[in-house]
Formats: sequence, structure tokens, C-alpha cells
Amino acid sequence: MSEPRVIIDFDENDRPFQPGETISGECRLESFDFEEIKAVEVSVLWYTEGKGDEDLDVREFRRISADDLNWNEFRRPWRFAAVLPNSPLTYDGVILKIRWCVRVRIFPRRGREIVDERTFVLGELKAAQPVEK
Amino acid sequence: MSRSFRVYQKKRGNRRTGSRALGSLGELVFFGIFFLAGCAGLVLIVATVLIPEWRVNHEFVETTCVVRGKEIGSSSGDDGDVYRPEIQIEYEIAGKKYVTTTYDITGSYSSGREDKQAILKRFDIGGKYACWYDPTDPKVAVLVRGYSLFGWLILAVPVVFVLVGGGGFIYRLLHWGKSAEHRAAGNLATDLFERRGRASGDFPNVPAGADMTNSPGTRLKFRLPISTTATLKLVSIGVFCLIWNGIVLGVGFFVWRGLFGPGPVQWVPLLFLIPFALVGIFLVGLFFRQLLITTGVGQTFVEISGHPLFPGEQYDLLVSQAGRLRMNSLSAILVCEEAATYRQGTNTRTETRRVFQRELFNRKSFDIQRGLPLEEGCEMEIPVGMMHSFKSENNEINWKIVIAGNVDRWPDFEREFPVIVYPSQRTEDRGQRTEDRGQRAEGRG
Repeated sequence: MSEPRVIIDFDENDRPFQPGETISGECRLESFDFEEIKAVEVSVLWYTEGKGDEDLDVREFRRISADDLNWNEFRRPWRFAAVLPNSPLTYDGVILKIRWCVRVRIFPRRGREIVDERTFVLGELKAAQPVEK
Repeated sequence: MSRSFRVYQKKRGNRRTGSRALGSLGELVFFGIFFLAGCAGLVLIVATVLIPEWRVNHEFVETTCVVRGKEIGSSSGDDGDVYRPEIQIEYEIAGKKYVTTTYDITGSYSSGREDKQAILKRFDIGGKYACWYDPTDPKVAVLVRGYSLFGWLILAVPVVFVLVGGGGFIYRLLHWGKSAEHRAAGNLATDLFERRGRASGDFPNVPAGADMTNSPGTRLKFRLPISTTATLKLVSIGVFCLIWNGIVLGVGFFVWRGLFGPGPVQWVPLLFLIPFALVGIFLVGLFFRQLLITTGVGQTFVEISGHPLFPGEQYDLLVSQAGRLRMNSLSAILVCEEAATYRQGTNTRTETRRVFQRELFNRKSFDIQRGLPLEEGCEMEIPVGMMHSFKSENNEINWKIVIAGNVDRWPDFEREFPVIVYPSQRTEDRGQRTEDRGQRAEGRG
């Protein structure tokens, strides 16, 4: 049996999104023991990377618990769509980077959580360069 | 096993490698102990101080007693000797005589022998005084009633423990097993699986900057507020300088006495003190330099034709520098800086990095007369493609206009005027693009 994996597909790949646009797509789980899944969370969020402690904020969030639906439902791909806000835009700075992503978190009944994400670009900013004072 | 259950953590932020469940459990236990300790303290104070005092004031019965003896009781503790008045009284209840040593109901010891001596002086041996006895146990009696301030003040300690411990415990319990995204989402009632037409007009995580537009300019639309950094720096240096030199002078006093007092001269403390005294002198110099920079140069005003700022748009800027100064140069610089705050152990540090700067003007070699401030105007533009202002809990992107002055025979100065930059407003066609793409996606679905 191959490794369990999460597949996140966007309807429109490889292009920067603009504020106010809708990002949509679907995610599906492959090679999972679906009966062993306790819950799945899907989020559209931004998070920071870099020198500072991580900040994150969730734009859209959905948790699907095995208590709410039949485990068989996890087999089917789920569609998602979220309207993107005006800010913050994706930023590639020197000591701070801001990333947008769709993140899927699987909670198995036993063992560690499985997290996978697919980043996308919001806005069209230039990468920053350090300058001397 | 080690991969799934790490007790220690070796990195920061989302790169943590320790067990999250164990961390949450540790916090629960910590807050739980805090809460229980608070409850225990609360019960102890209520049972030993507050209830007995209430009973004395409401249930004890008044009678007359005769003082048979008096002394100051003492007890030795870690903080030295503590005292309480001990007065032996004799009283009769229902034909039966009782003899007890008492004063107040708590019978607590405290520092200050003189206070207790003064209390004893109020009672003469053989004299008759009012006392109050417990009707359920007549051998318990007191000579004073009322509530002690100490009992109510000490109550604050367990109450804080209960609030902090209980609050932390409930918070941790509510977030038990929740992912970072779940916690961040809070009560976000959204349905990801249904197309929603929401497109908010606000700018999350862009500072509002309301105080930047509440002061109208005299020539341009707004007068920008100055950053308080320089004043804070002056106050910080001043306070640190006072504390440092206060300690050095205090220690120096005793070293001085040792140097010129009887007995052999104490050179070692003197040599030890010298580097600290030199640092103290340096701090005094630093304080006066900052004082000159902050107050010695006249006021700087910056006015702007619009705010907030948008990339790609032109703005007029007016800089006014007052004072009586011979300037080598005065320049205005548009600056963007990243600021990242991180924790290392118990320390919190903030690192900044300048990622954009553009000189707006630089005027050299001129004089400013008193009452006739220099006024220099220029145009400025935030380049398209630059990041907007941003603020989250630990990270920031700050835009500001820096006025840098080089004054002849005077310390250089820099004054900062923060501005807020919004994301580019080329959004007229965004709504249409969204609709078009939305329809295409639905078509595929």
C-alpha cells in the first residue's frame, strides 16, 4: 500500500490571485484508511515565516468530523472556494515572509496528525532586498 | 517513538519539534496547580481570618473583664522577630469564671514591637474593660472587634492565583486538541464548500492609522504625527542612567568610608568600582546628548497631501524645520522597514531590517533663523509592487518619512513620521475578473 497523501488542486494553477478574487479547487485523500480518520480540517490562511515568531490568520475554515458524516464521505473529493481579502498580500521579504495557502489537516484516530498545504500567491509584489541605512 | 513524542523543543515558532499534546498537558497542570493553590489559600484566609472576624462582630457577646496580666509575645521567623500583645483577662459567664490570654481573634504576630507596647499601655492591670466572648465556647474572648486591613489585603493574593490559574486552565481546556488554524478561526462561521460572494472592502492587518489624519495641516491636507521613539529613548536612557548611577554612588559611599575610615585602606572595592563609575559617566554623557537632540533642535513638522498612501500615486510633502541652526544638511527619506519580534527563553527581541529607502530631498549648507523656519516641499510616490503596511502579533512592516539633520557643531538628529501604505488600488477591474473567473470555474464544476 502506498503512502497516504493529500492532494490539493486549484481550478486555476500557477497564477497570482488578486484581492477580491475567489480561489477555488478541490482536495482529496489518497491511500488513507478512511475508517481511521477522526476529522479533517481545511483552511485558507496566511502565515508568516522568517526571523519573528510565526503569526497566522485563517480566512476560511471548515472542520469535518467523522461524527458528522459517514467515513465513506472522506473518499470523495471536496470542493472549496474562498473570496480572498484585500490584505495581507504575499510578501517575500528579508526577515519576514507572508505566505498564503490552502492547508488540510487530517486527524487520525491513532498517531500523529498529517498536514499538507499548497501555497498560492495573493497580489503581485516584488521581492524585497535589504538596503543599507 | 522519539519522532512522535518529543519532550524537549529545539526550535521556535511553527518549526517546533516537541510534543504539542505534552506541552498543552503541561500548561493544564501548571494552571491547575496555580488554581488549586489559590483555592487553598482562599479557604485558609477565609477560615482563619475573615469568618472569625465576622463572628466576633456579629455573634460574640459583650461582657466585662478584669486584666490580670500583660506582656508582649514574640516569635522568631525567617524575617526576624515578630510580636503580638498578650493580655490575660478574667471574666465570669453564668457564674463560672474564665481566665484567658487574648487580644484580637486572629492572634497573629507582626513586626513592630513599639506598636504592641502602645497597645499594652492602654490596659492597666486590675482595670475593668469591655470584652466579647464566644457564646458557643465562652473560654474564647477578645478585647477588640472590627476587621483587620491585613486580612482583606492578603485576600488579593489567592484571588489572583484563582483568577489566573482558573482562567488559564479554562482557556487551555477550551483549546485542547485544537489545531493552530482552528484556534485562529475562532468563531469564524464560514462554509468553504459553498461559493460565497463576500468581498470585504476592509484591509485586514493593515494598521488603521487614525491618528495620522486627525491633525489638519496649514499648507497641505494632513500634518503627520511624530514618532515617540526619540522621547521614549530619552526617558529610557534617563531612567537607566539614574538607576545605574544611584547604585554606583551608593556603593561608592561605602567604598569611600572604607578608604578613609579607620583600619587598612580597602583598594580592591575601589578598583572594582572604577569600571562601573566610568559606565555611569558615559551614561550621563549619552543622556545629555539625547537631551540635546530631542530638545535642542527646533520642531520639525511634516505635512502631506493625502493619507493613507497607495502605491503608484503621487503625494505632495512639506517639511518645516524650526530653530536657530546652521545646518550642514537636511534630508527627507522615505523608508520601509521590516520588524520581527521573537522570543529566546524569557527574552523578547525585535529585529528590524530596512528594505526600501528613497531620498526625497537633501539640502546642504544653509542657516535657519529663529521665527523663520525652513520650508521644503517635494513630491513622493510609493513605487508600485512595494509591500503595504502590515501588523500582526509578532511581525510588522512599517513605512515612515525620516527627517535627518546634520547641524554644525551639534549632534546629528533623526525624526520619524510614520505613514500607512495600503495595497495598490488598481482594483477597478478586479471585481469583473473575479466574476469572469467564477463563472468559468462554475462551468467546469
